[in-house]
Amino acid sequence: MDTPTPSPADNQPEQEAYPVEPRYHPIHKIPRKIYDFLASARLAMVLLVTILACCISGVTLWRGAEAGRMVFGALWFNSILVLLVVNIACCFFGRIWGRRVTLISFGMILFHLCFVSVLLGVVYNSLFYFRGIIRLTEGEALPSGDPRSYDSYEQGRFFSFSRLKGETTLIKMHAGFKIGGEDKRAAYEVAVGEGGDRSKGIIYITHKLSHHGVDYFNDREGYSLLVILSDNQGRELYGGHVPLQSIRQKNGSFKYSTGYRDGETVKQDVILFPPPPDKPLVALQLGYILSKLKERSGDAEFALFPLDLNDKPLFNMKIAEGKSPIGNKFAAGNYQILAKEVRYWVGMTVRYEPGNAIVLPSLWVGLAGMMITTIGRILRGRRKRI
Amino acid sequence: MKPELQLFWIAVGLYGVSTFSYIFGLIARQEKLFTLGLFSALAGFLPHVGVIALRWSATGISPFISISESITLGTFMTVLIFLIFQFSTKKLRPLGVLVMPVAFVLLGWAGTLMKDVASTLAPALQSGWIWVHIVGASAGFASVLIAAGLGLLYLLKEKNSGGLYEKLPDLAAIDDLSYRFISGGFILYGLMIVSGCFWSNQVKGNYWNWDPVEVWSLVSWLTYGIYLHLRITFGWRGRKLAWYALIALVAMIVSYWGIPFSVETFHSGFRIEHT
Ligand code: HEM
Repeated sequence: MDTPTPSPADNQPEQEAYPVEPRYHPIHKIPRKIYDFLASARLAMVLLVTILACCISGVTLWRGAEAGRMVFGALWFNSILVLLVVNIACCFFGRIWGRRVTLISFGMILFHLCFVSVLLGVVYNSLFYFRGIIRLTEGEALPSGDPRSYDSYEQGRFFSFSRLKGETTLIKMHAGFKIGGEDKRAAYEVAVGEGGDRSKGIIYITHKLSHHGVDYFNDREGYSLLVILSDNQGRELYGGHVPLQSIRQKNGSFKYSTGYRDGETVKQDVILFPPPPDKPLVALQLGYILSKLKERSGDAEFALFPLDLNDKPLFNMKIAEGKSPIGNKFAAGNYQILAKEVRYWVGMTVRYEPGNAIVLPSLWVGLAGMMITTIGRILRGRRKRI
Repeated sequence: MKPELQLFWIAVGLYGVSTFSYIFGLIARQEKLFTLGLFSALAGFLPHVGVIALRWSATGISPFISISESITLGTFMTVLIFLIFQFSTKKLRPLGVLVMPVAFVLLGWAGTLMKDVASTLAPALQSGWIWVHIVGASAGFASVLIAAGLGLLYLLKEKNSGGLYEKLPDLAAIDDLSYRFISGGFILYGLMIVSGCFWSNQVKGNYWNWDPVEVWSLVSWLTYGIYLHLRITFGWRGRKLAWYALIALVAMIVSYWGIPFSVETFHSGFRIEHT
């Protein structure tokens, strides 16, 4: 029943035997064997089905980050993808070789070519990309080309930091930012570059800033308190911005405090103050209770602990604990501590992805190729019917 | 009950009438019941459009965000394309025997998941790409569902003869038409994926992240990509592909609405921890 009886619309100019075998063979013997393997339509099916199975297992058996580790990020899986593209190149182009170019085959050529160029784009990108997270407090500028400016980063083998020139500055963070009546929630006013070659702009979730092919995206933001530690005569010992984490409470509200991120959750913790490389004097736990009435005001909560010789906090010998309004000093043993003002910090994703200029247009061309093939088939179907 | 909900359940009810008319029409070989089925589908379609319009005008936010809205749109597209197809060709009258039950069950399911309309649109969704994306997704689903319906007709005609089945186009024509709808669905899913890639690139700077929704959409796309290769490269036709289209449809429904929304993904709202 299932004997291949091509419907009229599928009749190629020449009659085919199934599965269609390659018509173009480079050389003979061993290279020929390798070529035959790579150019086989069966290999294509096996690979497609394997990838399908991997995809399904990567969203059922394993989830999220684990799926990334077990499947999608794994070398073997990516090798299969590469093999698929090599297979497309040999199998498809070996077959289409020398065939009359019609609307149908032209679309198919475009389409399969795009698979190959997407891969090339991905490989090129993997050699030159840069992805980093840069965290800045309002008013702060960090050298863009210094790896230490980034909380974390990864880069392609051939990426050079000299590409990131000048400084990245956070001018201001706008909470409740609206544009054209749409609530964008948060927008960062940033400047990047050096001297006269600077780009300045506002970024929010659907709007990035680009500077010489490097893109800046908003990621997350929070509060930062300017904290000044003085001795009890009022002489300033150290001052600095302390970024706070937002910690979700059971009732859905947020608590803003010093702390650290542990996977998906944020834990409250002390910081050394002044932070290393300066010599720390105390361990400080800092919190911020925002005022509902006025932006950037409210109370600061302090807890101070002494340090042992190795700068480890002595939690059982608390120096002082308490609360005072922003801008008011708080007396803590031999120290006075002041949360002088509230600013925002933001985390931005910095990305340089040169391969995208190949990959993304290829996707559209590929889609156009599919449409051209389909239109070609419909037209041929019509002509047959007339 | 709010007028919106009343309309919703009227639509579901009429799709139910349509479903039973088609099924009994097939069992009893009564073509009149197909006519009833078609017109009750049309009658149900009107309140269905009304529900979407009401939701939309209530807030000014395109109502395609939550899972029940997404299913409502998917069935809307399905019934729309089905109706256009049925009124433009009279030859495939029993097609509704698969299409309408699926639309009926899905829309009823959407009704049980319905929440109040969101009052604001998450910032990440405020992009023109959302249109290309959801039209690709819903029309792609509609196409492959109709293709599966044609597959079912193929299998039925192959087994049965006489009366109603005589009037259907010949097997090769049904097979070819089913393939056309699969190709269309494949392109539309492609449109959904490519626009999703662009959109994600605009918002986050990466176009592909192997997140579950992305992977599931790749699964559907590959499934139909394999169909096309079985047909074009291996010369499969007829019964095998009809079964393939039917089984793939089940996978499609599960992957489309069943699984992605039950896990935290890029699609389930966008994280801004700071308020
Ligand atoms: C292993 C990789 C692949 C190989 C070797 C391959 C090979 C081929 C071949 C030989 C044809 C038929 C050309 C002809 O003889 O007329 C074809 C058609 C096609 N391929 Fe592929 N292909 C591959 C991957 C893909 C993928 C991943 C997709 C998308 C899921 C895809 C989609 C298509 C489409 C849409 C057609 C045209 C079908 C039609 O005419 O409607 N191909 N491919």
